[in-house]
Amino acid sequence: MKAGSNLEKVLTAGYFAATGELGPPQSADTAVIEKKAGYLKGYVDAVNITDCQTAVVRMSSMAVAVMLLRLGLEPTMQMTCRDRNRIAIQSDLLGAAALGIKNLLCLTGDHQVFGNHPTAKNVFDLDSMQLLSMVKGLRDDRRFQCGDEVKGPEPRFFIGAAANPFADPFDFRPYRLAKKAKAGADFIQTQIVFNVPKFREYMKRVVDLGVHEQCYILAGVAPIKSFGAARYMATKVPGMDVPDEIVQRMKATPKEKQAEEGIKVCVEVIQQVREIPGVAGVHIMAIEWEESVAEITAQAGLLPRPAV
Amino acid sequence: MKHDEPPPVISPAEEASPPCQVACPLHTDVRGYVAAIARGDFEEGYAIAREPNPLIYVCSHVCAHPCEEECRRNQVDEPVSIAALKRFVAERHDLSLGHGPSKPAVEPKNQRVAIIGAGPAGLTAAYDLARMGYPVTIFEALPEPGGMLRVGLPKYRLPREIIDIDIKGILEAGVELKTNVRIGQDLTISELKAQGYEAIFIGIGAQQSRTLRIEGMDLDGVLLGVDFLRDVNQGKPVKLGKKVLVIGGGNVAVDVARSAVRVGNLGDEREVHMICLECREEMPAHEWEIIEAQREGIVLHPSLGPNRILGRDGKVVGLETIVCESVFDSEGRFNPSFVCNTESVIEGDTVILAIGQASDLSFIHPEDGIELTPRRTIKVDPDTLATTAPGIFAGGEVISGPGSVVGSMALGRRAAISIDAYLRGENLAKLRFAEPQKLGELPQKTVEKIKPLIREPMPLLPLEERAFNYREVELGYTPAMAMRAAHRCLTCGGGAYVDTGKCAACLTCVRVCPYDVPVIKDGAAFIDPTQCQACGVCASECPAKAITMKLYSEDQLYQEIEALFATAPASNPEPFIVGFCCLYCAYAGDEWAESVRAQLPPNVRTLDVFCTSRIDIQHLLRAFELGADGVFVAGCVGEECRHTDKAVNRIQGKVQFVKEVLNQVGLGGDRLALYNIPSAEWGTVPRIAQEMAERVRTLGTNPL
Amino acid sequence: MIIAEQKPLDEIKSMIADYQKVLILGCGTCVTICFAGGEKEVGALASALRMATRLDGQNKEFIEATVQRQCEYEFNEEVADLIEEADVVLSLACGIGVQTMNEQFPNKLTLPGLNTAFLGQPVEQGVWDERCQACGDCVLYLTGGICPIARCSKSLLNGPCGGSQNGKCEVNPEIDCAWQLIYDRLQALDRLDLMMEVKPAKDWSTSRDGGPRKIVREDLRLTFVEEKQS
Repeated sequence: MKAGSNLEKVLTAGYFAATGELGPPQSADTAVIEKKAGYLKGYVDAVNITDCQTAVVRMSSMAVAVMLLRLGLEPTMQMTCRDRNRIAIQSDLLGAAALGIKNLLCLTGDHQVFGNHPTAKNVFDLDSMQLLSMVKGLRDDRRFQCGDEVKGPEPRFFIGAAANPFADPFDFRPYRLAKKAKAGADFIQTQIVFNVPKFREYMKRVVDLGVHEQCYILAGVAPIKSFGAARYMATKVPGMDVPDEIVQRMKATPKEKQAEEGIKVCVEVIQQVREIPGVAGVHIMAIEWEESVAEITAQAGLLPRPAV
Repeated sequence: MKHDEPPPVISPAEEASPPCQVACPLHTDVRGYVAAIARGDFEEGYAIAREPNPLIYVCSHVCAHPCEEECRRNQVDEPVSIAALKRFVAERHDLSLGHGPSKPAVEPKNQRVAIIGAGPAGLTAAYDLARMGYPVTIFEALPEPGGMLRVGLPKYRLPREIIDIDIKGILEAGVELKTNVRIGQDLTISELKAQGYEAIFIGIGAQQSRTLRIEGMDLDGVLLGVDFLRDVNQGKPVKLGKKVLVIGGGNVAVDVARSAVRVGNLGDEREVHMICLECREEMPAHEWEIIEAQREGIVLHPSLGPNRILGRDGKVVGLETIVCESVFDSEGRFNPSFVCNTESVIEGDTVILAIGQASDLSFIHPEDGIELTPRRTIKVDPDTLATTAPGIFAGGEVISGPGSVVGSMALGRRAAISIDAYLRGENLAKLRFAEPQKLGELPQKTVEKIKPLIREPMPLLPLEERAFNYREVELGYTPAMAMRAAHRCLTCGGGAYVDTGKCAACLTCVRVCPYDVPVIKDGAAFIDPTQCQACGVCASECPAKAITMKLYSEDQLYQEIEALFATAPASNPEPFIVGFCCLYCAYAGDEWAESVRAQLPPNVRTLDVFCTSRIDIQHLLRAFELGADGVFVAGCVGEECRHTDKAVNRIQGKVQFVKEVLNQVGLGGDRLALYNIPSAEWGTVPRIAQEMAERVRTLGTNPL
Repeated sequence: MIIAEQKPLDEIKSMIADYQKVLILGCGTCVTICFAGGEKEVGALASALRMATRLDGQNKEFIEATVQRQCEYEFNEEVADLIEEADVVLSLACGIGVQTMNEQFPNKLTLPGLNTAFLGQPVEQGVWDERCQACGDCVLYLTGGICPIARCSKSLLNGPCGGSQNGKCEVNPEIDCAWQLIYDRLQALDRLDLMMEVKPAKDWSTSRDGGPRKIVREDLRLTFVEEKQS
């Protein structure tokens, strides 16, 4: 065991993993976190806590992760390179480990122009690849990025990374995934999959490279709440590939039935990706619709979650 | 003309002159006056054309215009109608303003100069010397001055009052004229010297017709061309039959033939034939003269040599000719060869010989010390025109043989410079004349980018109105025609010049030039004058202000803007509008800048530019700074621009920029407008001005 | 080349508000070429300021001059008389020129009329693209000659990130994804191997992060020989 987290145990035991996601509030409100945690508890193996996603200021990922621990859920703390240099990141990692956080998802981070502080100065001292190396170095070599030894207990994380099979250049994406595995990723959570054929092709190449044997690959999935949301994701979100047939399917559905249909689409995707070689689980991103996770996991036959 | 010592070092291309100017023996600034006409500055055009040329009126009618042959527009389509433009400015000139430039302030000199002969050479020499301050006297054998201009050229080509205008101007410059004094007869050269003339110029021309040594020369009805013309021109009775045979193929022969058509006003009752050795293509007369002769019914018989003149009862009845197969031998010498047994007869009752002229040099005595050449011309130093006798100079046809008016004038001018040097005691051996360097031909790649423009046709007297009188055939241009004709000028060498010290080698000129002329050479922009088409876009775009237009520079446009405000109506309630109008496309039909300006109310002023590409952002800003309430730019639509559509696109960007500046300044960008006028709507400047005034009225006056 | 653009007129107006006689001083090098501070721009700005300040009821005087390179004392010295005469200098040079002026003429304030934008390339007439961030440790040999530090919005060394779509950056569809360009170039050069390695964290100490930078070439200094002798 690298970190001994629940997620790591589920995956190493060979179970098909399911992870969820929780977006911290833009306030110091704890109640909303408790409420969202309630929607997820028992339905997933770990819950990602985003790090000021889309560069909007939100409650600290580490703080929310600690709250989840207290509520009996396993957090996966997300860490981006946008706002912290290597000094701040390592400092936070020491603290997170000390507080009992065991899963860490390493990201470059969304550019600040998308958020609510577009005039901020960014950092990007490291990129996600270098962050992975650094986290792995702390854990496996017990060394800081500068090479100094960690004197005392080292921070141990089950290290995650993101991958977007739908971004360009497509041909390079499997190799970039391999780079992340090489850099230190133990598990991967992909961008939301709607275009299953393309994802299947991607996974074929990943498997050909043997990357699935170096890390666990969890396919990202998400329910679509409405036709409008489908259309928005299809046209406005960079790096998102929503096939037209799904948009049309949502459009053809009566408005009051669209949420239900969206869940159905999500379940179908889960069932399809589960059959793809190399896929070790799913990461369900039901952002601001956390209450749907129970139904998705139930319909997809992912319940009950294994106790390991 | 320059006379520097040592000869000036002329850097290639940069200093080269336009071919028209180089071709002109007087090196008239043709480009300068054509550009002035193009702007509608007709008096300015006259002043430039007159500056080197005291016989501008004469030349405006009869100049052989070698300038047009050299015009680089020949490479594109047809030459600029320079001759017609010169005539236009001369005819339009207000003589009450004077003939030419006022006399320079020179120290009056006391060495007297005698000029023998009041022809083009003598008149020019006299005029120049008088302006240098010398007391000059012309001695003319005939009762009236002008030489061959008066007694050689037919009146239908050169009305006599035209000659009088120029003579008046020359005499006003301080030249003394003594007519009816034939040197050699009334006064000898020695006597002239004895009278105190310290220098003498001989410019007696070539006024003796050459004759032929063939049978029948003594028959009644055989005339000599020069004598015939002199008699016709002096109004003396001329005995001419009904079938006139003119021998000769040169310009004088054509003058003789065309005059013969007119003598006695016989109409179709008289036939005139021209017989010459040369084949039609090689006839030495100007092509346009031959064509006009043919239009007047004159029958050409080229490639025929006169064998003998046939007579009966002592009178001419015809000319026996023989076929001539070549005029010159293999070494280029005059040596006609004839084809045996090709004799034929052209019937006729009059034969006029016009096969060349020579000078009557009988007035020169051995004691004068003036040597002659084997060709029976006066021997001179080709540079200084000094004869072998000290203080005696010669010029014009007396040294060159028959030539052009302007050629003789140039020799008169050169002699004047030599005489001045001689009288100042300079060593004449050191006096050398440098010819200006000629701008090279247009490269083919440039030719391909120049848009052809139709040569403005010259209105001519209808044929039925000409043959039997002496009215001039060419009628002259209207102002609009003249401007259109002048717009065809490529402004050779008048374009962009780079101050390499300022140039940042930013490549802007390289990128914006519609003709792909600029290159970066030795770290700075180089704009080859041989290729530059003077559109001005580079100068107006250059961020370093390193490029200047040689002709009508950016600074001149600033000055014109300032000048326009200096005369702006004070406290006018109407908005003051300034319009920048493209000379090539803002006006149309029979209007030109001046006529349009006359239609505009006093609150609207226009400035003309050679294409809107010449306007830069500072020009536009300056107009507002000086208080314009509104400014408009009137140019063409892209594809109709004389300089390809690049030029128009540039003004669009500049207008956009200035509008933005005006918004920031607080004046408002709406005060500036660009009008791209399609050719169908050219001539709408008054309407645009009106529209602009309306628009600006709603914006209020410029608070500045 | 240094790329700059003129500050908004209102900002310039407020900077010069307290001064009567203003010398607008252009620079004949980089900012001339990028149409921000050459002689032409000096003239246009002077014209605009004369109008703008007069509209505000002021009667300011503007003097115009342009030197070859405002970052050099010798060139600025040529207009010392004009500087002396003016109440303030409005420099149309880059930030380097402005500082040179302030240093060289300590009794005269020199104001910036431009915003110095970046080190870039004039990619076409009127368009300038950032090309270099002067990081002090060039990586172009690893990236097919395309700089990811200056041209990737996140300065990634292991790109492209998931926001690369159709060759464009997620930050702005006007921006080319530098890593797509690098990928294409390396593929064309058959050097994709350069993208397979994880590039380690960059040493930013040679960049601005290491503090103001300085290059000294002792051999070139005119004091070199003397120092060795003494």
